[in-house]
Amino acid sequence: MEERRHTSLHYEMELQEIKNGLIYIGALTEKAIRMAMQSLIERNSDIAHKVIKDDDEIDKMDTDLEERCIRILALRQPTAIDLRFITTAIKITGHLERIGDMAVNIAEKAIQLNEETKLKPYIDLPRMAGIVIEMIKNSLDSFIRNDLNMAEEVRRMEDVTDDLNEQIFRELLTFMMEDSKTIHRSLMIMQVSKNLERIADHAKGIADMVTYMVTGECVRHQTCVVDEKEPA
Amino acid sequence: MDFNIIIKLNKVNFYYGQSRALTDITMNFRKNKVSALIGPSGCGKSTLLRLLNRMNDLIDGTRVEGEILFEDKNIYAKDVDPVEIRRKVGMVFQKPNPFPKTIYNNIAYGPKLTSMKTDDLDALVEQSLKQAVLWDEVKDILNKSAMNLSGGQQQRLCIARALAMKPDILLMDEPTSALDPISTAKIEELIEELKKNYTIIIVTHNMQQAARISDETAFFYLGNLVEYNKTEKIFTNPDVKHTEDYITGRFG
Repeated sequence: MEERRHTSLHYEMELQEIKNGLIYIGALTEKAIRMAMQSLIERNSDIAHKVIKDDDEIDKMDTDLEERCIRILALRQPTAIDLRFITTAIKITGHLERIGDMAVNIAEKAIQLNEETKLKPYIDLPRMAGIVIEMIKNSLDSFIRNDLNMAEEVRRMEDVTDDLNEQIFRELLTFMMEDSKTIHRSLMIMQVSKNLERIADHAKGIADMVTYMVTGECVRHQTCVVDEKEPA
Repeated sequence: MDFNIIIKLNKVNFYYGQSRALTDITMNFRKNKVSALIGPSGCGKSTLLRLLNRMNDLIDGTRVEGEILFEDKNIYAKDVDPVEIRRKVGMVFQKPNPFPKTIYNNIAYGPKLTSMKTDDLDALVEQSLKQAVLWDEVKDILNKSAMNLSGGQQQRLCIARALAMKPDILLMDEPTSALDPISTAKIEELIEELKKNYTIIIVTHNMQQAARISDETAFFYLGNLVEYNKTEKIFTNPDVKHTEDYITGRFG
C-alpha cells in the first residue's frame, strides 16, 4: 500500500533527511571497505591511510544522525511506523559506524601486511569483501524500500561469509603449521577476514531491524517473544 | 460470563434524528482498566462515552439500537433508572464544572440527596478528596468557594465529586484539555491510582496521553470502531493501516 504523507510537511522532510543521511553514511562505509581491500590487494598503504582519515566523516555523520533521531523523538513523539522507523534508524547508524571502524581495522592490517612479503595471493578475501559490500547495500535498500525479501536475502548471505571466514581460517592454519615464519602475517590476514565477517554480522543486524520496522516483530534473537494478547 | 468485563456493547447503533453517529459497535470494557477512545472530531467517541451512562437520553431525537450490558444487565432496558446508572457510572467533563458552592458541599451535594448522615458525610468528603489527591491542598479551606481553586484543582474536585457517589466506572471526556501540563500530569497520575478501584474510560485528543495512561485503546472513525487493541500494540504496531495513519499524523 502506498504510504501517505504526514500532515506536517516539515516532519515528512525530517524523516526523509534521516533516510538520506543513512544512505550517505552507508555509501561512505561501502567505499571505506572497498578502499581498505584495495589497499591490501594493490599493496598501496596510502589508500589505507585515507580510509583511516575518512572515518572521521562517518563518525561525524553517525553523531549527526543520532542527534536528529533523538530530536524527532523529543519533539515529534513518533508512534507506530514512525517510532519503529526512528528506532531502526538509530540502530542502523550505530551498525554503520561500527562497520566504518572495521574498515579502519582492515586498513591498519593492510598497512602492516604491505610492509612484509606477500604471504599468498588474495582470492577468498576479495570475494568475501564483495559479498559484505553487497550485504550492506542490500540491507540499506531493504530499509529504504521496506523490502522484507531483500532483508531475508541479507540474512542468508551472512551464512556464506561465516563459511568463507572458516575456510580462510583453515587455509591459514596450514600455512602456520608448515612454516612458523608465516604466523604473524597469517594472524593479520585472519583478522582481516574476521573483520569482514563482523561487518556481515552488522549488515544482518541492519536487515533484522528492517524486519522489525516493517512487521513490528523482533527477529534478532531466537528468544524474541511477541506478546499479542488482545483486549477482551 | 467473563468477570473481567464490566461493560459489553453488542451491535450498538446510535442516531441523532436521522443521522447515524455510531455504527454496529461491538466491544467490551474490562474492569479496573483504563480504556482510551481516540479518533478525529466527529468520529463518535464522545457520543459513545455518553451512551455508557445514558447522558444522550437528555438530547431530544436520539435513538439507541443494540445492547449495552453493564454487569450483564442492559442499561437501556425499560425497567432501568437512568439516574441509578449515572450514580454507578460517574462522569468528568472537559472543563472543570464545580458547583458555585463550598468545596465541602461540592462533594457532599450528591450523597446528601441519598440521605446520608452528616458524620458519614464528613468521612466521605475526606475520603473522596484524598482519593482525588486534593485533600492536603484543601483540608483547611473546605468551607471556601470551590470557584477559587485553580483549574487543575477544580478538575480534581470534580473527580472527587464523582467518586463520592461510589461509582464503579468513571467516564472522562477530555479531562485535561483545559489544563496546564503540571495539572495534566497530576490528573494522569491520579488516573493511574484510581484504576486500582475503578474502571476508567477516557476520551482524549492527546495521543501521548492515551499512550501514557491507558491499557487499551479504541480508534473510531466516522462512527465505526476501526481498531480496539492493547495500547502498546496500537501505538507501536497497529493492525489496521487507518489507525496507523491517524496516530502518526498522516490523516486526511
